[in-house]
Amino acid sequence: MSRVELLSPEGLRVDGRRPEELRKITSTTAVLSQADGSAYLEHGNTKVLAAVYGPREARHRALVLHDRAILNVEFNVAPFSTGERRRRTKNDKRLLEMASFVKQTFEPVVITTLYPRSQIDIYLQIIQHDGGTLQACINAATMALIDAGIAMTDYVCACTAGWVEREPALDLNHIEESSDTSEVTIAMLPKSGKVTLVQMESRLHVDKLEDVLSLAGKGCKHIHQVIDKTIRDRAEELARKMAV
Amino acid sequence: MPSLISPAERDFILKGIECNIRADGRQRPDFREVILETGVVSQTSGSARVRIAGGTDILVSVKAEIGPVQVDPETGDGADKGQIICSVECAPSASQQFEGRGADDLNNELTQMMTRILSNTSATSSSASSAAGINLSKLCIIPGQQCWILYVDALVLDYGGNLMDAIFMGTRAAIFDTRIPKTEVQDLGDGQFEFEVLDDAEDTDIVDGREDMPICITLNKIGARHIVDASPLEELCTEAKLVVAVNRSGELCGLQKGQDGGIEPSLLLEMIQFGKTIGQSLIKQLDAMIKAEADSDLGKRQRGEPIHKLGFFAQ
Repeated sequence: MSRVELLSPEGLRVDGRRPEELRKITSTTAVLSQADGSAYLEHGNTKVLAAVYGPREARHRALVLHDRAILNVEFNVAPFSTGERRRRTKNDKRLLEMASFVKQTFEPVVITTLYPRSQIDIYLQIIQHDGGTLQACINAATMALIDAGIAMTDYVCACTAGWVEREPALDLNHIEESSDTSEVTIAMLPKSGKVTLVQMESRLHVDKLEDVLSLAGKGCKHIHQVIDKTIRDRAEELARKMAV
Repeated sequence: MPSLISPAERDFILKGIECNIRADGRQRPDFREVILETGVVSQTSGSARVRIAGGTDILVSVKAEIGPVQVDPETGDGADKGQIICSVECAPSASQQFEGRGADDLNNELTQMMTRILSNTSATSSSASSAAGINLSKLCIIPGQQCWILYVDALVLDYGGNLMDAIFMGTRAAIFDTRIPKTEVQDLGDGQFEFEVLDDAEDTDIVDGREDMPICITLNKIGARHIVDASPLEELCTEAKLVVAVNRSGELCGLQKGQDGGIEPSLLLEMIQFGKTIGQSLIKQLDAMIKAEADSDLGKRQRGEPIHKLGFFAQ
C-alpha cells in the first residue's frame, strides 16, 4: 500500500499547514432556543454542536447524589458526517467511550457541589467529521457550559498533537489521523496549566512524547485565546442588547 | 419541548384562536418566517438547513451512493428504478425528552411519513416517478443491477413546533441542491455491462422531477378552528392534526390525520382545501428563495469569488 506523503520536503503538511499550525477555529454561542446553553464550533472542517441543559432535577432518582450534581454526556454522530454514509446506534461502544471521556474531563472543573441533587446534561452532535472530534467536542462543551452559566473553575481547552513522519505536528486532520500516525489528545486548564485528559491510542516513542505533549499544550493555550475571545464578544453583545 | 400546559394557558390560546389572534401576534393562516440555506454540509451531494423563526432548526442532507437495485419479488417491479431512503433523527439538543431512546417513536413516525411520500411509487399508475414526482428511472444506472440510492437524512437540531412542515421544506431544498455525478455505461456484449462514474464537478445531473416534489402543511384543529405552523404550546392544545402533502400544481400527494381528536367530514374537506392553497403559495416562496440563492452562488462562481455559507453563524 502506497502511503500518502504527510510531510512535503519543504516541511508542509497535506493541507498546506506548517507542523505547528492549528486549523481555523470559528465558534459562536447561544445557537439553540430550547437548550439552557449551546455552542457551535468549526475546527477546520470538523463541525460540532453542543447543547447544555441544567442544572435540573435528576431524571433517575437512583443516580441522585445528595452533595453534588451529576454530569451526563450524550454523544451523537450525524449519519452524513463522514465521507461514507453510516448510521450509528445509540449503543455504539466508541460513542459511549467518547462520552465518558468528555464526562471525566469536566467532572473536576464544573463546581458540582453548588448544585446538589441535580443533573447537568451535555449533548454533543457531530455534524461534519474531519479529524480531532474529541478536542472539538470538549472545546464546544466548554463554551456551551459557560453559555448556560454553570459555575466552573476554569476553561477546559483540548488539543491534539501527533508525530507526523519526522516531526511533531499540531492538530491532525482526518487524512493524517487515518494513516497510522500516533496522536495524543490532551485537555488543559489554561490558568493553572493542569491537564484533565490525556488520551492516546497508538504507539509513540517515549523520547518523542515530551515534544508532542508540549506542542499540544501550546495548542491548548492558543485555543483558549480563540474561545475566550468569542465568549467575551458574545457577552459584550448581550450586555449591549440588554442596555438598550 | 414542553409536555404540560396549564388550564389558563390552554384557555388563553383557545380563546385567542377563536378571535383569530395568536399568542405571537399571527393570524390563523399565517406562517412564521422561514429561513433557508442550501449547500451547508460540504461532504454531501446536497444539503439544506431550514429554520422557522420560533426555533425549529433542521439540517437535511442528501447523499447519493451506488447500490444494487431492489426488485419487488411479487411484481418484479423496481428493476429499472433508483431508490430514495429516508431517515429522520431528533437530536437531544432539540429537547430534553429526546435523550437516549426518548426520540425513537417520533423518529419512526416522521421517517415513515417521509418514506411514504417520497419514495413510494404510486400503485395505480405505472409511471416511473414516485408520489413525490421524482423520476426514479433516471436514477437507475444499469437496469436490473446498479442504481443510485439517495439517502435523505434529516436531523432535528432545535424544536420550536411544526417539525413535519420544516422537514419537508428542508428536504425539498436539499433535493434541489443535489448534484449526482454522470455515469457512462459500456455494453460488453452478452448482457454484460460496465459503468464508470465521471468525476467532473462541473458536469453533473440534477434530480429529475424535483420541481414536482411536495411539501407538507400541518393543520392543527384547536376548538372549532384550525391553524397552520403551530408553536409548541399550540401543539399541546391541538385536538386533531391533519398533514396535507401538496405539490406546486396543487395535487394532493399525501394525507395523514394524527392525534386523538376527530374531524367532522365537512371541516375535513375545508381543511384540505385550505392546506392546498397555503401549500401552493408556500412552494412559490420557497422556490424563489432557492432560486435567489442558486443565482447568487452561480454569479459568485463565475466571478471567481469564494462562496461563503453562513450556516450556524447566521443569527
